[in-house]
Amino acid sequence: MKVDVQSLGTFNQLAHEGAEQATQSMSQMTGIDAAVDVTKISLVDRADIGEELGDDEFVGVQFSFEGALSGETVLVFDQASSDKIVNALMPGAADDPSMARSSVEEIGNIMMSGFIDGWADYLEAAIEHTPPEYIERSGASVLPDAPEASENDQIFVFRSEVEWLDESVSFYIYMLPEYDPLAELMADHADAGDDAIPIEKLEVFNQMTRSGTEKAAENVEMMAGIQTEAEVSQISFAPIEDVPKQVGNDTYVGTVVEFTGTPSGFLLVLFDETSAVTVAEALMPMEVAGEGLTAQHKSAIEELGNIMTSGFVDGWANVLQQSVDHSPPRLVHDMGRAIVDPLAAQLGQHQRHAFIIDSKMKTDEVEFESEIYALPNEAELREALDELLVERADETEADADQIF
Amino acid sequence: MKVYDGSSQTEQTQDADPERIKVGIAEYEVTTSGSVLTTSGLGSCIGVALHDPETGVAGLVHVMLPSADEMDDGNPAKFADTGTELLVDEMEAAGASLRRIEAKIAGGSDMLDFSESGSGIGVRNVEQVRETLDSYGIPIVGEDVGGDHGRSLRLESQSGDLVVKSANQDDTRL
Repeated sequence: MKVDVQSLGTFNQLAHEGAEQATQSMSQMTGIDAAVDVTKISLVDRADIGEELGDDEFVGVQFSFEGALSGETVLVFDQASSDKIVNALMPGAADDPSMARSSVEEIGNIMMSGFIDGWADYLEAAIEHTPPEYIERSGASVLPDAPEASENDQIFVFRSEVEWLDESVSFYIYMLPEYDPLAELMADHADAGDDAIPIEKLEVFNQMTRSGTEKAAENVEMMAGIQTEAEVSQISFAPIEDVPKQVGNDTYVGTVVEFTGTPSGFLLVLFDETSAVTVAEALMPMEVAGEGLTAQHKSAIEELGNIMTSGFVDGWANVLQQSVDHSPPRLVHDMGRAIVDPLAAQLGQHQRHAFIIDSKMKTDEVEFESEIYALPNEAELREALDELLVERADETEADADQIF
Repeated sequence: MKVYDGSSQTEQTQDADPERIKVGIAEYEVTTSGSVLTTSGLGSCIGVALHDPETGVAGLVHVMLPSADEMDDGNPAKFADTGTELLVDEMEAAGASLRRIEAKIAGGSDMLDFSESGSGIGVRNVEQVRETLDSYGIPIVGEDVGGDHGRSLRLESQSGDLVVKSANQDDTRL
């Protein structure tokens, strides 16, 4: 299977329009004015799907769909959001479990019909769907089983997040299409094929990102004694103006480098403020005087960010058989989106969409979470992948431990 | 990207807080109903806030890159030149008068600019917005641009005040 940038762009637009339709249906019924915040296509490891849902409780509806595209899709609300929507439909209904349930079913059904119809219209093909099934589960278990992905363990997921103005409620739409019909559709919508990327190569990239994150996590353990887990890595594709939204609006601390070579781009290592203090203090030999994030904390973060970056970039260079240099790290301490915005703008001078490679590590023992993002130049990433021999990719897959 | 008029908030009570409308990256909003327009996470991006004090028509656009000429892209709100032009047009369509419109601008930071030669995107964004506003004769009556930090904005359309927030500094009211 090959995917090209144009068909990824088209499919992203489709998912976005589907989500817009679903949102409009909801706004009409409830009077709640909402806007689609993020839509992206990601290639994710089966095991990692839904990681961002955490342990929260969700309710929603699940469908199977079949036709031009086949697979499973869910629309889920967190509990607070569902209460708000249910009450907007029928005041007081949220207190009555059976009324709450039927309201969620009703609105879920209408929203998802809009979503699926949007796709079918665009594809000028029929997509049938089953009646909605009400679901009520926690975290990632709310998602349907991922389809069998014949030779590989990575699947495409379409995700949309919708936010209300007061930022207190949101819902997610996940669409997990089966591999073969999607591949066929993408091939149909592909351009002449000049910029097509064999999907296997994107998967290799994901694996290398994962290995890089593991290496970075080892460094964190070695230096700070914090053992991390749940490394998630994925490669996503989104319009350039949606790139800053991948990061939350909270304040982050971390490092940013520009890397050069093929591909060039930017690499960010970000910690939320609490995690930054935790990890910095674990790195420092003695207690720090002063509250919050001091200059000493920041210099420890800078050092750690540098080491995590090096592990990552070295891994890429090995796989790609290209030298990848990077600038000295720049320390950042600012609003998440404002950190990413200038980087997206710099890429945006040459491209309308961007690949976002992201990876996360965390631990339950202490307050610690770190996110790593790579934003490669799109054309150069394609070039690099083009030169990446799949045989070599197989080799490096086996060699991953030695490489890092 | 809608124009919000009085009818969009019929369900709101008179004494409620004004409606808040979020403006995303490469998006704009115009209000005629006293709403508060907000946008967040401006790095090198720039927020252009326009206000007609007499009619209370106000608008905010969050642009990302200097000029639409440099790219083949269908979204005018993404660029400093076409985004500003679009906002002026929409303000006029909503009843604002070009003679009265005043501008306040914020953003255009130099943070994380890795370009080695020439001006960074933040600087060019600011220059382009100034040039486009000047071509309409719209005065800039308040600004907080440049520097090396991010900003979030809140345009209070009733007064035309633009509140600039940043992660590590106190709020500024323009």
